[in-house]
Amino acid sequence: MRSDILIIGAGGAGMRAAIAACEKGADVIIVTKSLIGKAHTVMAEGGIAASIADVDKADNWETHFSDTIVEGVYIGDWRMAELLAKEAPERVYELERYGAIFDRTDEGKIMQRAFGGHTYKRLCHIGDKTGLELIRTLEDKVLHSKAKIYDEIYITKLFIKDGRFAGALGIEMRSGDFIFFNAKAIIISTGGCGRVYKITSNSWESTGDGLALAYNAGARLKDMEMIQFHPTGMVWPPGVRGLLVTESVRGEGGILLNTNHERFMLRYSPEKRELDARDVVARSIYYEIKAGRGTAHGAVYLDISHKGADFIKRKLPGMYSQFMEFAGVDITKEPMEVAPTVHYQMGGIEVDPYTTSTCVSGVFASGEVASGLHGANRLGGNSLADILVFGKIAGDNAFEFVNGKEFTEVLSNEIESEIERVKGYIREGGRNPYNLMDELTTVMEDYVGIMRVGDDMRAAIKRIDDLKIRAREMGVRGTTKYNHGLLGCLEVENMLIVCEAIAKSALMREESRGGHTRSDFPKRRREWKRNIICYNNGGVMDFVTEPVPDLPDNLARLVKPEVYEDE
Amino acid sequence: MDFGSRERNEVEAGYVSRNDTIPRELKEPNPRLWLFIILIGIALYLIVEFPVKPIDGYIDPFYAPTVLVLPLVGLFRITCYAYRKDYHRHIFKHPLECSINNRHDSQKRGYTGETRLFRLENLHRYFLYGSILILPFFYLDIYKALAFNMAITLAAVILAVNTILVTLYLFSCHAFRHLTGGGTDCYSCKFAGRSRRSFFDVQSYLNSHHEQLAWASLLMFIFVDLYLRALSSGLNINFIILHL
Amino acid sequence: MSDLNSVSNRRITISIYRSESRSYVDYTVPLEDGMVVLDAVRYVQEFIDTTLAIRWNCKAARCGSCAAEINNMPKLMCKTRIDTLPDKIRVAPMGAFTNVSDLVTDVSENYMINRQIPEFKPDERAERPWRIAQIDVDRTKEFRKCIECFLCQDVCHVIREHKADYVGPRHVVKVASLDMHPLDTLDRSEFLNREGGLGFCNITKCCQEVCPEGIHITDNAIIQEKERAVDGDYDPLLWISRKIRHNR
Repeated sequence: MRSDILIIGAGGAGMRAAIAACEKGADVIIVTKSLIGKAHTVMAEGGIAASIADVDKADNWETHFSDTIVEGVYIGDWRMAELLAKEAPERVYELERYGAIFDRTDEGKIMQRAFGGHTYKRLCHIGDKTGLELIRTLEDKVLHSKAKIYDEIYITKLFIKDGRFAGALGIEMRSGDFIFFNAKAIIISTGGCGRVYKITSNSWESTGDGLALAYNAGARLKDMEMIQFHPTGMVWPPGVRGLLVTESVRGEGGILLNTNHERFMLRYSPEKRELDARDVVARSIYYEIKAGRGTAHGAVYLDISHKGADFIKRKLPGMYSQFMEFAGVDITKEPMEVAPTVHYQMGGIEVDPYTTSTCVSGVFASGEVASGLHGANRLGGNSLADILVFGKIAGDNAFEFVNGKEFTEVLSNEIESEIERVKGYIREGGRNPYNLMDELTTVMEDYVGIMRVGDDMRAAIKRIDDLKIRAREMGVRGTTKYNHGLLGCLEVENMLIVCEAIAKSALMREESRGGHTRSDFPKRRREWKRNIICYNNGGVMDFVTEPVPDLPDNLARLVKPEVYEDE
Repeated sequence: MDFGSRERNEVEAGYVSRNDTIPRELKEPNPRLWLFIILIGIALYLIVEFPVKPIDGYIDPFYAPTVLVLPLVGLFRITCYAYRKDYHRHIFKHPLECSINNRHDSQKRGYTGETRLFRLENLHRYFLYGSILILPFFYLDIYKALAFNMAITLAAVILAVNTILVTLYLFSCHAFRHLTGGGTDCYSCKFAGRSRRSFFDVQSYLNSHHEQLAWASLLMFIFVDLYLRALSSGLNINFIILHL
Repeated sequence: MSDLNSVSNRRITISIYRSESRSYVDYTVPLEDGMVVLDAVRYVQEFIDTTLAIRWNCKAARCGSCAAEINNMPKLMCKTRIDTLPDKIRVAPMGAFTNVSDLVTDVSENYMINRQIPEFKPDERAERPWRIAQIDVDRTKEFRKCIECFLCQDVCHVIREHKADYVGPRHVVKVASLDMHPLDTLDRSEFLNREGGLGFCNITKCCQEVCPEGIHITDNAIIQEKERAVDGDYDPLLWISRKIRHNR
């Protein structure tokens, strides 16, 4: 298979990149691990953050920029934040012109809702199904474009020749055949790695495959310790534990209560209360549960019933049916039980802010898999804005990159040996990958979770090393055709890399900042206003830290200066 | 159109029988269909052959205003989306049930859906217009019943209930819904858009009960007919509720 | 916390279609509170037989990947609680599509059909940014809930039993969602009626019955499109009036 640009991942970022590249005239192939239109983007509920100021007239890109930097606790890349804040409104209008619809204000403008950490009402939404609307719109656009789509393909390796991307090998799950994709550039938009945790809101795909592929290809990973815990996930019944309860519930007026019926957010964050940034709310809930003020299921209450049944069914139809069907709870009458759940990975592949290019020539990354924009904590709604803005930038720049370039050939014996490696997992008597996955996710949940401490993480790293050794004995029966077990083996390999990066970065960062909280270093420290970068140094994971680039004066003016408690 | 992986045997599937005017559904040996036709035939024969004379000012709805409009009303019901579902399911068994093990439908059975003779069902809206023209006569009959007796009687109430059900059934019709706003994509662009939209919402609510209304009004029709026949045969089953 | 951690001895037996042996195989899995069919099937796939082919993504009824036939009714596995089912549970792949392996079917024809539906074509003269009233958004909003699980395509007898050239309920919903966009300029009902085989639908409403999102597929999408097709293709008075206007 040959194309100018290969895009892996058909979520919002991948499809937006494909549309951008196709519009410029590039020949594009999109491959995805699941069916098209099923990507994790469909789970996004809240909305797209864009300062179009349809509801709050005072909103502008400067405020959006400053919110993003401040709530990212000052380690986000200002260049990306500036791009996002400036371009998001146009991307939203463009999406509307592609056919997406949004809820409207009385004047007929796009309705925007309040969300945690945003100064103004900023999230353009349609009910609580914004992600679905976004993906359906982009899906239609892609299906009607010249881009070729290969769904249910799992990419096992990126091939780099003379420092430049040359191609990728994938298994077509439905036939069991291996397909080699020869391309001049690749855009990685495979999403996050939430599945490395036991309790997560992420779907099956989010195993960090893109991170591991890029890492193995020589790209650098940044801020891997920054994992966002969404404050409100379902806890009961066990089968849906971790399933997301959208922040819109709080955005529309839901309040958090402990078992003493106390609105505890008044204590932790008297001003912003339930709508403080996610890390703050998640930690507050964690402390309440730890202090014994949680329910029998280890949760606190989230109550929206005071808003009335009509309002809830109109504004939060998805949440209403989710609780009705899975838990048998009528949220128009009763409170929900919620606890933090792993939601998003702020870190990821290090990219150039203006081109989304990685340090490997021809490899681009956009969306959740890329890092920089969100710093230490992502604002709700910024992820959908991120995939639209940086998806387009990735597509445009990948086109600029491939223009006039030649294909690089990959030797067939290299491809053969990769095929052999993958087929090597198919054997009798191998270790079940799912047992290892289960163990790994439990280790991450227990030791590198919402509250971290040095000894725990050292133990986690030891356990991960141990799992790496046992992973060599992994194997499953069957063939290459639609064999989830085989994918499980490949995923475990990827997850081990990601987990190692998360645990080691988290151990390095001796402070608490944003999504990273350490009980042994509870304060934020000026010397850690740095990014932790990990890279593949001849098979060994190595780390460096780099200072966060300083804001230029004209932007620094917009941002509330950083204050450290100790100084 | 390209339907990808749908493998089919065109000859057996039988839906591409371009020369057949009569759809395969009707040619199949189908006792349910025969029984249905026989029942309808008997009913029509009885209605025409044994008319109910107006008694004490009460007029049987089958004869309002004249038995000659019966075909129009009948066609309205036959082409109604609610009844279409019922007879496609229970008479033609296409399919009998949604559950996939008990459908009595298969590729071997011919199927044309609403593409051949049944295409006439698309004229439903004209039968609706006709039926709406007849509707005032029903109200006239209530008036006559009240005026004749100068009292609200049980029979008059029964006639009124029947008329209300017929009215609701008529105006909950899908074709009417298309007129009230189904064909409109942008209400706010139109004159009095908000009111039109509210009207559409009310009609849509009625429409969501169209199936129940269809059956309720049909059964009521039959009930009223039997009631008046009983009355005219001399049974004393009517009484005065309130003198006017 | 007792009910969370208690190791229960309750077990259930679930019989799953295996394509290799073309038969149903029984598996016994531990039962948890509030368990759904997908939990049981995943347990089988992960810990009993890893070769079992299944398709699932979000496990939250939002992606529509895990469509299957549970006790002969098309349903989402992630949304069907085991305590709502009788003791005998049988899971089969969707029967209207070509089987790939075990519970996985080839649904690619749906993407090919989508490709042929005329795209959204907005009114270019509309002033930007667009002003749209909420009342004009509400109708198309219902159709945009569709998660493309294709259960409606699966249950539709026109596709399943007769393999007719009918696009299927999902795609009528898609067309309706585009047609009813207030700024869309196309009318796709003619396309639906002539190329999409809309006439094959005999409105028996099974699609509406199985829709996990509760979309009123037949009442709000199919019948409305049929009525629009009547306007364009069947209504004699409208036809004459169009002729007269055309000749002028």
